Amino acid sequence: MTLPDAMRLTQMLLALALLQQSLEHLRGFRDERALFLARAILCVLVLLGVASPWPLTAMAALSLLILRRFQGPYNGGSDRMGLLSLWCLTLASLAPSTPLKELFFGYLGAQLVLSYFISGWVKVVNPEWRSGRALRDVFQFSAYPVAESLRALAEQPRLLTVMSWAVMGFELAFPLAMLTKPTLIAALVVAGTFHLANACLFGLNRFFWTWLSVYPAILWLQSRLIP
Amino acid sequence: MPNPLQLLLPALIPSWNFFDVIAPSPRVEFAVTSSAEAAPEAWREFRPRPHRLTPGTMAARMLWNPRWNESLFLVSCAERLIDNPTAHSEDEIFKRIAADLARQPETAEGWLAFRLVFVAREDQAILREVLFEASPRALAEIDVR
Repeated sequence: MTLPDAMRLTQMLLALALLQQSLEHLRGFRDERALFLARAILCVLVLLGVASPWPLTAMAALSLLILRRFQGPYNGGSDRMGLLSLWCLTLASLAPSTPLKELFFGYLGAQLVLSYFISGWVKVVNPEWRSGRALRDVFQFSAYPVAESLRALAEQPRLLTVMSWAVMGFELAFPLAMLTKPTLIAALVVAGTFHLANACLFGLNRFFWTWLSVYPAILWLQSRLIP
Repeated sequence: MPNPLQLLLPALIPSWNFFDVIAPSPRVEFAVTSSAEAAPEAWREFRPRPHRLTPGTMAARMLWNPRWNESLFLVSCAERLIDNPTAHSEDEIFKRIAADLARQPETAEGWLAFRLVFVAREDQAILREVLFEASPRALAEIDVR
């Protein structure tokens, strides 16, 4: 995948992810509706490739107003990845030279690798994650399970210990998947399935769409680093 | 109030420490009283989760999940109220409870209060502790538009 193709595909996928979020906000309060209606229109312009790169740049500027409105990200990590992607794509689009474009876009791909690896690292150094206790806590009393019936999973300690190690092992091994394109594609399929499970069990639908939208950046980065 | 660039920085240089520690988890509870002086008694959990979700509902929520995402935002507001209290977080929780009450068929009148109950595990026991209780506000004065 060439750099322009990868950037364009990432822009389109991000625009779709942000459009989905923006539509959800149109049922909110008046000030939210105004901000997210503007963002929805900009997403459509990005999708259509109209007046590039200005709709993307306007979205980056608008993101500052949205951050001010909610005094931070509305939905934690998923919004942070969306912001990172938006700003990297904007800077890469505005950059005057190819090496600078590669730097900004490559940074996005590198952060995606780190998002898995660091998530695995901070878990594996915690004894409660290694014993499966932390994942039991997630199901037993955290605010995330979407239904009370899911709390019964906390009574399956062996299953949760296996699941904990599967998640930590996958996250820690993710950088190795960068060695070849087939291994990276396989790892992204597993990662996508992981995000899908999180969306179903914990209602984190924004994570699924936002992380998937950045996958072209990592596919480009892999081919750039190991041709 | 932090400026937007300060708020953007953690997104541009992220920590990625998702779920590193399972911290005490907030629940928002609210009560409506007839006067500001009346002590709230009938606390109700705000948006309790359903007992069960069908696979079809889970699939639909992949594309349309505003209510749950708003509830997750309130979790963030609740955590901010404990870690770094601001009027913004309190206002947001009041507004969203009042908006839900305004959508109900029966008219809610009087004074709205909310409290934050944090659920945590200590050894094998699950403990609940009230860490914050907001002063009541007149429902009529909360802008829900």
